[in-house]
Amino acid sequence: MAARGAFDGVKIVEYATMVSGPYCGKLLADMGADVIKVEEPPSGDPARQRGPFPGDEPHPERSGLFLYLNTSKRGITLNLDRPDGLEAFRRLVAWADVLIDNHPPEGLESLGLGWDELRRQNPSLILASLTPYGRTGPRARAKGGELTSFHAGGLGNLLPTRSEDMSRPPIKAGGYPTGYSTGLTAAVAIAGALYGRRASGGGGRLIDVSEQEAILALVRTNVASTIYHRTAWSRVPERPPALGRLECKDGYVVALLIEDRHWRAFVDLMGNPEWASGPEWGTLFYRAGHLMEIADHIAEWAAQQSKEDVHHRGAAKGFAIGSVYSAEEVMNYRQHLARDYFVEVDHPEAGKARYAGWPYKMRASPPAVQRPAPLLGQHNREVLEDVLGFSADEFADLCRKGAAWKAGGQ
Amino acid sequence: MTNAAPLRGVRVLDFTWVWAGPYATMLLALLGAEVIKIESRGRMDIMRRMIVWPLFSPVPQEIPPNQGMSFGAINMNKLGVTINLEQPLGVDLVKRLVGVSDVVFENMRPGAMERSGLGYEELRRVNPKLIMLSSSARGATGPESHYAGYATVHHAVGGASYITGYPDGPPSTTFGDVDLVNATAAAFAVIAALHHRAATGEGQFIDYSQCEGVSSLIGDVLLDYEMNGRSPGRHANADELMAPHNVYQCWGVDRWVAIAVETDEEFAALARVMGRPELAADTRFVDAASRKRNEAEIDEIVSAWTRARDRDFIANMLVQEGIAAAPSRDADDLFHDPHLSARGALVEVDHPEVGVRRFAGAPWIMSGCDVEAVHAPLLGEHIDYVFRQLLGISEEELDGLQRDGVVQ
Repeated sequence: MAARGAFDGVKIVEYATMVSGPYCGKLLADMGADVIKVEEPPSGDPARQRGPFPGDEPHPERSGLFLYLNTSKRGITLNLDRPDGLEAFRRLVAWADVLIDNHPPEGLESLGLGWDELRRQNPSLILASLTPYGRTGPRARAKGGELTSFHAGGLGNLLPTRSEDMSRPPIKAGGYPTGYSTGLTAAVAIAGALYGRRASGGGGRLIDVSEQEAILALVRTNVASTIYHRTAWSRVPERPPALGRLECKDGYVVALLIEDRHWRAFVDLMGNPEWASGPEWGTLFYRAGHLMEIADHIAEWAAQQSKEDVHHRGAAKGFAIGSVYSAEEVMNYRQHLARDYFVEVDHPEAGKARYAGWPYKMRASPPAVQRPAPLLGQHNREVLEDVLGFSADEFADLCRKGAAWKAGGQ
Repeated sequence: MTNAAPLRGVRVLDFTWVWAGPYATMLLALLGAEVIKIESRGRMDIMRRMIVWPLFSPVPQEIPPNQGMSFGAINMNKLGVTINLEQPLGVDLVKRLVGVSDVVFENMRPGAMERSGLGYEELRRVNPKLIMLSSSARGATGPESHYAGYATVHHAVGGASYITGYPDGPPSTTFGDVDLVNATAAAFAVIAALHHRAATGEGQFIDYSQCEGVSSLIGDVLLDYEMNGRSPGRHANADELMAPHNVYQCWGVDRWVAIAVETDEEFAALARVMGRPELAADTRFVDAASRKRNEAEIDEIVSAWTRARDRDFIANMLVQEGIAAAPSRDADDLFHDPHLSARGALVEVDHPEVGVRRFAGAPWIMSGCDVEAVHAPLLGEHIDYVFRQLLGISEEELDGLQRDGVVQ
């Protein structure tokens, strides 16, 4: 028997695309929630159009982005422009404990399903609304997305760290950091709201999550510290005495030497060269003023080292250091492998692959991929008949009229 | 039916410090949990005295222990007590608190809790339903479980630095944001465990790895290796499909605007705003694929236009045309963003030592969640409530504990 999931029995409708809402749904689904993802015709979630694809051949059922973000869910396709499609959606929302929506606030409103109406139909519904700027305030309806929210929230302005050319633009971190962070933030709020309902009852709730604020939340310490020092906010080229990035002969390591004993251990790792062995180097304040004088020496030393050697010998000496790993290196990283971090998923169209797992090992309620990401419309019949109680005839009718569009999984 | 803060009634013992732990327990506090932060004079959260980067002035500048604002930003709405864990009576006191708590959260060095006699196996004997989360650099098991680390190192090891930077430049770590995003995931795991306990009566130990936390947020990137044996590189602000999709320099010093164009209509609107309507019909830019193919040319055209114009003016104009555009904001910009103000995203907190300050509040607005922002606890601020009211310790006994340095 499969282990029990922490969110077993929780019913969730995910009306969301791309990264934020789907990642939120995945987090809950991998812990047992029954998440039904609603996609719209003709092509469903636009994440299906994005790579990586096996062999770089775009295929809506083989997008690595979609496959990772939609594990453990069932998927249906509904044409919400048709009254019968919309009616099926209404019945689904009436069934649900939680609705995850990452369309602009006016999206559900234009379908006649604004928050007041949703609440009337399902008084205990938790609506999680994930939008670029939130549902209130002067920019509530402004268009935004991965790039603009990352910069609006402040994190982009700090990157790249140690920028060597301030005439080059601040940047977004790689991948979809805005989407993932926003989804994670919403998942905490949803899990909390569900717990409140379980523990003490209570009615429905509206959870308003703004991408800009999900990013702002992550730079809150920098923001707060600017009252003391403007340099708490900067992408300046060098920031002694923390050291930071070192270029080795085969890649990079990142080290952080805050305590004096960490510095001494680092000097020891370098073989106690004469230029760093004077006792004055043992204090942080001296290093703060003088580290740049020996930066070239350190770089010269690092350039002769291999990164993994420096990484593991440095870690053994007790200071914070690690290699900059590529995707290949992460997938072969001995610590991840030893901890069974990756999980193999077999998808009917994309085949087998190892997916990133979860950073929390929970003995009593382990997360798991309950099923691979759904094919477009894979669970139309199952959901409409078994969950919503449509008869076989009614279902056939919905398919014929195009409401349950292209019921691929019949 | 009325709602209150959803974690009201949940009590969390907080042994965390620096960033990755404290923000997690603050999120729980912002959902209504009662979080008791445990420190001692000898082992206080080092962030109490630090600004964000410990950039030292030639004359050592020490911030008094209640005034470090990065501490203030991630320890709001907690109670604070001081207990000396090096004394047996201190350990005993902690165990009494564990007996009346639901969650223990710690991110000390691996093995530190065990060495203090406060490991999970020990604590579950006191409270069989206890949920305990240990957050560490690389997890509690495996060959590197003892490695130390900070956010930037986790970012590198987890695979995110490799994909961050200019295509022709070195990899870039990010900042403490890695700790805060790991804290968010850890808070999620704790609440999940609360659900499991509510359903089954069973507590559990949660082993959280911060390097794994980074890898979980680039799952799509890792699948490129699985599918194609390839490691994606660095793309700065570029998107796989959209162009223009970049950050452009504006008039002034270090002023930048992010612009992302998704559809043909948006590109036509941008062309119109730039006074170059003919670009919409230009074969080089006529659809998304063409624009992406000719991205360098687009970037040049847009840059030439933004360079002589005001950042905020551009952002406002484009947003009104339905185009995603935003200034690349620094801290001052965030403090002065009228949109964030209107939403109450930055909360005013009256701090007894430094006065009224503004901090980023909860990263959500939740109806019925009636938690008002309260300043981070002063060192030992809530000794009376926690020891006398919660544990029922008499005034004499507490005096004795303080005299003996157990409660410092």
